[in-house]
Amino acid sequence: MSHLARSRRCDGNNTELEDRSHGPSRWSQCRKRGIDGSLRSKRSDDDGEDDTNNRNASFTTPESRAPVSRIARQADWGSQVEDDEMRRDVQRDMQRYRRRILAAEVTQRERKTSSGSSGSCDSKEGDNVEMDEAVLLRRQKQINYGKNTLAYDRYVKEVPKHMRQPGVHPKTPNKFRKYSRRSWDQQIKLWKVKLHAWDPPTEEGGEVNASHVEELRFEDVMDIEIDFPVLSDTGNGTCSFSTHNLSVEDDDCAGTPVKMQKTETTAELDML
Amino acid sequence: MENSPEDYRIQSFDLQTQMLLKTALKDPGSVNLEKVSNIIVDQSLKDQVFSKEAGRICYTIAQAEAKQNNGSVFRRNLLNRLQQEFKEREGTRARSLQEWVCFVTFICNIYDYLKVNNMPMVALVHPVYDCLMRLAQPDALTNEEEVDCLVLQLHRIGEQLEKSSSQRMDELFYLLRDGFLLQEGLTSMARLLLLEILEFRAGGWVLSGTAHRYYYSEIAD
Repeated sequence: MSHLARSRRCDGNNTELEDRSHGPSRWSQCRKRGIDGSLRSKRSDDDGEDDTNNRNASFTTPESRAPVSRIARQADWGSQVEDDEMRRDVQRDMQRYRRRILAAEVTQRERKTSSGSSGSCDSKEGDNVEMDEAVLLRRQKQINYGKNTLAYDRYVKEVPKHMRQPGVHPKTPNKFRKYSRRSWDQQIKLWKVKLHAWDPPTEEGGEVNASHVEELRFEDVMDIEIDFPVLSDTGNGTCSFSTHNLSVEDDDCAGTPVKMQKTETTAELDML
Repeated sequence: MENSPEDYRIQSFDLQTQMLLKTALKDPGSVNLEKVSNIIVDQSLKDQVFSKEAGRICYTIAQAEAKQNNGSVFRRNLLNRLQQEFKEREGTRARSLQEWVCFVTFICNIYDYLKVNNMPMVALVHPVYDCLMRLAQPDALTNEEEVDCLVLQLHRIGEQLEKSSSQRMDELFYLLRDGFLLQEGLTSMARLLLLEILEFRAGGWVLSGTAHRYYYSEIAD
């Protein structure tokens, strides 16, 4: 809750007057570390600690967070600015996502009264939102890695959004849902495996391959084994079945992505 | 459009470099952006006029790169090189006052122009303050070149900076008041510049009409 309040404050605190009257400015509230890592002692109560406490109290399998985020913050100015940029994007996405859920919950309630279908999985959506910024940022980074590929560009171009079928086409994992670290990493892995089906034809040359080799080295060394059978299939529908069986932890929510897509579209309409 | 500020500034480079920079502005993906960023920083540290305008070129290249392939190679290299120079600033100042002044001008200009989602880059706020605080130390205040630089930067980015951290702006202005009031050995020109910037901030980063007349029209009369 405190986290939410803070991010609201950061976004809303836009007027000049307010900025001036408040001491250390809005920036310091969004930031966790000073430039040399040493300047923040005064405000360090602001972020890290109480987040961790809240989190441990509220749910059981927290993703380990400290090392990843710390290293990222200590990095050079270039990375700091990129992190800030991503953080602001994630915050904006988060507001948008929560608005969508609210809208979806309203329509859900209306539907329930008319058709009597139970929405047990969706009704929990509100509690099911991952709010930890460090986790969201790390997930966003993983997603960006996947999207920053030729395969993804080709996929987006070749399969327009309304043609995509759940289970058949790769669907970007939903970074705002609460998953265990293992489940999330697995989803990312499977998503990337599916995306590989849109890799450019190999005749195009070494340049293309090089970029993928590099990515494999960084992110998914483990993927290599899974990669080959799927790539040899190259089919659209076939690979989806094999991959779905692999995702053990994904099963409990296997139905929801479909539902989510529906609620998302209704929510979008509502927002118009 | 033939005489855009970019073109004008680019004139100060040799022909080959001019071509490189022009390509970087039009098709950033096709050039070595690390090299481009180093060229710009090197030139800024040498050329005081360029250091005042380099932010605009950097902004344009960064925008072009983001638009072309969603990349930030140029920005990343630029900032990291800047950080390198920032770490060595005390040595730079000891070695060459002119280079130090150019550096401060440049980093402030980058802060001014290069925005992320239309906001100034948080990573630069404290470094910029550190530089300005350094210029407000007694040994720098006796040096007109540094006072001039300090005051110019505050005119340009003072208001923005204060929004990013008003606490540090207060600290900076304690130093400036003390310098103006107590420090021996300031030239009258340095005192004039300090007084003007004190009034400028006190008026909400605007000079009142009478103050403006006082500081700027005396000579014309």
